Amino acid sequence: MLSPVLRKDLRIELRSRFGVSAVVMFLLVTVTTILFSAPGEQMSSSIMSALFWISLFFGALTGLARSFISEEERGTSFLLRLYAEPEDVFWGKYLFNLLLVFSLAFCAVIFFAFFFRDFVVRDLGMFTLQLVLGALGTSSIVTILSALVARASQKGALLPVLALPVMIPLVIAATDATRITMEVADSWNGIRGDILILFSFDVAVTLVSYVLFHLIWQE
Amino acid sequence: MKFFRSKIYHLLLGAIIAVSVFVCFITPIGGSFNDVVTLKMNNVSNVTPVKATITATGYDSISKKFYNAKDLYGTERRILVDASLGLKIGDVIVAECNYLPSENYFDVIRIERINPAMTFPLIQGLGELGRNMLFHVPMSFVATIAFLLGTIYSILFLRKKKMEYDFRARASSAIGLLFTILATVTGSIWARFSWGTFWNWDPRETSIFILLLIYVAYFLLRSLLEEDEEKKARIAAVYNIIAFVTVPFLMFVLPRITQSLHPGSSGTEAPVINLSGKTHTDPILSYILWTNVLLFTLLFLWMKDLYTIVLRKEYSIND
Repeated sequence: MLSPVLRKDLRIELRSRFGVSAVVMFLLVTVTTILFSAPGEQMSSSIMSALFWISLFFGALTGLARSFISEEERGTSFLLRLYAEPEDVFWGKYLFNLLLVFSLAFCAVIFFAFFFRDFVVRDLGMFTLQLVLGALGTSSIVTILSALVARASQKGALLPVLALPVMIPLVIAATDATRITMEVADSWNGIRGDILILFSFDVAVTLVSYVLFHLIWQE
Repeated sequence: MKFFRSKIYHLLLGAIIAVSVFVCFITPIGGSFNDVVTLKMNNVSNVTPVKATITATGYDSISKKFYNAKDLYGTERRILVDASLGLKIGDVIVAECNYLPSENYFDVIRIERINPAMTFPLIQGLGELGRNMLFHVPMSFVATIAFLLGTIYSILFLRKKKMEYDFRARASSAIGLLFTILATVTGSIWARFSWGTFWNWDPRETSIFILLLIYVAYFLLRSLLEEDEEKKARIAAVYNIIAFVTVPFLMFVLPRITQSLHPGSSGTEAPVINLSGKTHTDPILSYILWTNVLLFTLLFLWMKDLYTIVLRKEYSIND
């Protein structure tokens, strides 16, 4: 039932564990750097939510960028084009990236809750909703953009340059929503606008990426 | 298109530029009697320029003379003017007035213009700075129009696979970027004189900065692709469409839900583009504003057309 492309990527991931370990290491290094550069500092909820989402987005960019670039580097993209329909490739890669972002978010929550005293979420349900919406948007943007830069020179530098400005509405809305969920227990009224932005942005970006994917993928 | 290089178009452009320069720089600023009272009560300024029509003459004092005058909203008040000017009934004056509450008349300190062809409406708290509205606001409108047009051309390119649409998409986005930079610069100068600093990361400033980053990234992507022109154009068109998805969020949604000094932020209604579909600006001002929007749109179309020709020639030379 699972998409074959997703199955293939999962099998490669299980063999090498490259994606997950890179992402976990990235998060650990980020958290340690923050702890060392601001030891014992009292952090407000706005700083805490900003740090959380910044590490999440940069972690996603480092981990997810590999999806198409690795195919290009291993020279397997031609085979993938021959054997699979563009739709299957897109959804397979999208789902794989989504799983990666979910595991990233899971690790980030654990690390932040463990290392930072000030990381206290008062409305867990709404926080989970933000994480899911943020992950959906991030993985669709990174999926399409990593397919886009796979053939360019300077890929590593180009992807963040392309992706971050496009993801900014997501970052701003998610940071604001998380700040509110860290401050009040019943946060739905405060974050309704942000959730609406996250949701509409996710829908728009995912639809556009899906519709346009075959145009980049085809030779 | 040939039309943008025709004599008629150039004449039209020249005429509107002349009108716009006249309105934006030469016309004196004139408010109403109400503005004088409000600004004095709020301790903003003691004297405020007023545009008024003389309706009746009153008695003379030693060297000054009382008149009745009606401002642009039809409020009739008593004013005290230097008698040597010899104002007649029906004269329109633009004068700096001071309100004397105890005497209930307006003392004219200085007459700026008698019978001006046109006046620029006073925006409370902005004064002369209000003229910037005629550049800053139309420029940001045209930037949005340009990015929208660029995206439409990108979609057309992906459907029809003709390089011509790619030239147009690139030209539209490039001129759109230019107008975004101009809107940022004019906005920043405006911010310096009414908020105190050139740049303070107000939500509106942040969103326009990100818009700049997005379209700089678009041109960067193009230059870094190692493909033939057709594939390059296809990839750039896809990025252009994805980038445009964020434009409504950056231009219309985010600045409207956050606290900001810029008009139209959370809790206030935007003066020109808003949900209730009303324009909250002075009728004369909005008339001038839309003329300038038309002017900058025509300028944009002309510049876009010229840049399209450059790109087309460049392509045919390289081919």
